[in-house]
Amino acid sequence: MNTTLMGHLIGLRYKLMWAKTRSRNGRIALFFTGYILLIMVGALLGAGGIGAGIGAVKLGQTGMVAKAVLTSVYGGAVMWTLLLGFGMNAVFSETELRRYPLAARERRLVRFFIGIVDPFWFLILLVDLGLVIGLFLMSDTSLGLGLIAALLLLASNYALARAVGMYIDRLSATKAGPAILLFLVMALAFLPQLALQASKRNPAALEPVMRLLRLTPPFAAADAITTHGASAWQGLLAIACWLAVFLAAASWIEKHPYRERVAQAKAIGWNSPYERAGAWFGPAYGVLVGNWLRYYTRNQRFRAMYLLSLPLAGFLTYSFAQKRGEGEWFVSAMGAIPVLAYMGTSRFTVNQFGYVGGGFRRFFLLPTDPGACLRAASYASVMLGAGLLPIGLIAWIALAPDGADPRKTIMLAGSAITGLFLFNGLGIWSTLFGPRKGNYASAMGNDLSLAGNVVVFGCMLGGLFLPLVLKKWAPALISPENWWVALPPVAIALTFYFVSLNLAAPLVQQRRETLMAVVEGKS
Amino acid sequence: MTSQTDAIRITKLVKQYGNVTAVDNLSLRVPAGTMFGFLGPNGAGKSTTIGCLTGLLDPTSGEIEILGERFHSEASSLKRRIGVMPETLGLFEPLYAHEFLAFVARMYGLDEETVRKRVSELLAALELTDTSKPLSAYSTGMRKRVAFAAAVIHSPEVLFLDEPFESIDPAGVALLKQWLRRFTEQGRTVFITTHVLDTVERLCQKVAVIVKPGKLVWEGDITALAGDGAIEFEGQKFNALEALFLHLTGEKYADLKWL
Repeated sequence: MNTTLMGHLIGLRYKLMWAKTRSRNGRIALFFTGYILLIMVGALLGAGGIGAGIGAVKLGQTGMVAKAVLTSVYGGAVMWTLLLGFGMNAVFSETELRRYPLAARERRLVRFFIGIVDPFWFLILLVDLGLVIGLFLMSDTSLGLGLIAALLLLASNYALARAVGMYIDRLSATKAGPAILLFLVMALAFLPQLALQASKRNPAALEPVMRLLRLTPPFAAADAITTHGASAWQGLLAIACWLAVFLAAASWIEKHPYRERVAQAKAIGWNSPYERAGAWFGPAYGVLVGNWLRYYTRNQRFRAMYLLSLPLAGFLTYSFAQKRGEGEWFVSAMGAIPVLAYMGTSRFTVNQFGYVGGGFRRFFLLPTDPGACLRAASYASVMLGAGLLPIGLIAWIALAPDGADPRKTIMLAGSAITGLFLFNGLGIWSTLFGPRKGNYASAMGNDLSLAGNVVVFGCMLGGLFLPLVLKKWAPALISPENWWVALPPVAIALTFYFVSLNLAAPLVQQRRETLMAVVEGKS
Repeated sequence: MTSQTDAIRITKLVKQYGNVTAVDNLSLRVPAGTMFGFLGPNGAGKSTTIGCLTGLLDPTSGEIEILGERFHSEASSLKRRIGVMPETLGLFEPLYAHEFLAFVARMYGLDEETVRKRVSELLAALELTDTSKPLSAYSTGMRKRVAFAAAVIHSPEVLFLDEPFESIDPAGVALLKQWLRRFTEQGRTVFITTHVLDTVERLCQKVAVIVKPGKLVWEGDITALAGDGAIEFEGQKFNALEALFLHLTGEKYADLKWL
């Protein structure tokens, strides 16, 4: 095995990261700030793990607490990886690695290690290790076995996330993929709640489930960490087996990519719905909006996320309402409904030019104001985001316990429209000042800039928690009695959006050389 | 005032990136109806010059006039009269060839009937009739053909082509050359950069050679080379463009014993 070359390639991932950072002075400061923050978060998570371990021993429930902590971290890591793209930094593709004298197995190992040394997995490892150390300090568990179990668990966690991610990638490429994904996500979202309710009704049914769960990696790791002798070794063996299974699955999926059936050459269709929809924006923007609509809707990730946003908004409403009590459906829905307005388009909205590649310079060659291209892109994003809002509102009226109250519906519409225009307004600035070259075809991973991530996660978390904060501190502002309170934010968001468009459009021309360098991958 | 016979006139063009000069005080005149070859070694500043001439880049200083009008990056009316095939092709990869060409044609303001007619004719002529694949699935040569079609679809008066022939098969190159000749015969102008000097020798009437950083070292008529003539420069006679080019840019020799 050519370990030297493999080491060089893994090291190259960090050299590339540093090379990108040092190209601008400001980025160096940002890079170090980010790493200091990462160390702080890591310390916090590690301390949390230690605290959980100590707490478990004090409660006399080492096994149960370890299982609960490890399962939630394991499941959370997979979910965060798949939904938000953390920890899947694919620096080198298989094709790129083929340039080097490496065998197929070595190439797979290089990619595995490049992925697992991502800071995200480092944080996950810290929680697991914290738990191991906490238990070791307070009880007679073996530190050596615990460390091996934590490392194996991390490796299996990453391998599972990778295998599932690649499967989703493969599924997304199929025509039925988004619908199947939609079904799977809905099933996964509601299954735990249903299982919990079923177990409350029939506690005896839990026993066989727990026996099966013992075979899962987090439960097996908990056994390896908290028990001695054969049971601990069985735990380690179980995780190692899972690791082998996940690696084999990832390898199989990689070797068997989805091959689209070659379509027969078809007659050219001229009268497409994109152009017809674009024409609503008049002659100045019609062709551009039509082009952007086609660009959005042809993207598999957009399609999947667009469809997923409906059940996700439903799940968030349900989940928050469950935690806060049955009377909180409306407050939860106020926070969740804006998700419909931007979840599908989010990746493009905050980085409109980042996925256009060389096509970006076409905007400056055409006899039009390049600012019109930004406007048109934003109009397409708003149009697509707005398309789901009526469906969300109808679903609310049909399904919510007191959905028939028109005041609540107006407030929900206000919340959604505010979210739509606020997000798209911020997306304009992020597009101009936080662009990043992305891969249009990629269905996985988070390829947004820091600014893009701040806008996406800021809007999502802000939107979700603001109604809850208002309910606690200023309940009058979220009461149907004062339904009109939802209207001024709509006006403010609209103003912000159109002022942003007017201020930002001329900047496209001014910043074109910087933008061109970024989106074409030269900076 | 620009002479009416000049399609392009560049005066003291300078383009700097910070402290780095990419084009240094370049002045050129390209007569209308000419096939003009713009040559230079890698990194000499050819694409930067084309970028300034087509509105992609803002010159640091200097003036550009195209078709008698002062050109700047926001001169939309003038952009309607020029066609550009950029170095990076400027394609929207998820689109199909006909969708992309129709988009470009509509942006140039062609009416719907003309759009459909010209797109269909260009696709047929350039053998781009496979409508089952998006542009991202096309080979480099096919993508070049699409970019060429996008540059000419609105029938421009001046055409800027940045390395148009590389990666296109010989039959395709022959077709493009035939079109370009007819294009200039109609009084229109082609400004072309390429490293294929044989093609320039056979196709272009005038040539300019620049060296790093965007400095003009030679400009002249090369029609003599099409016959059995030669070009005289610094007391030497050059009967091939390649010889003149190597003389101007400096022939390189490096003996690597291990190679």
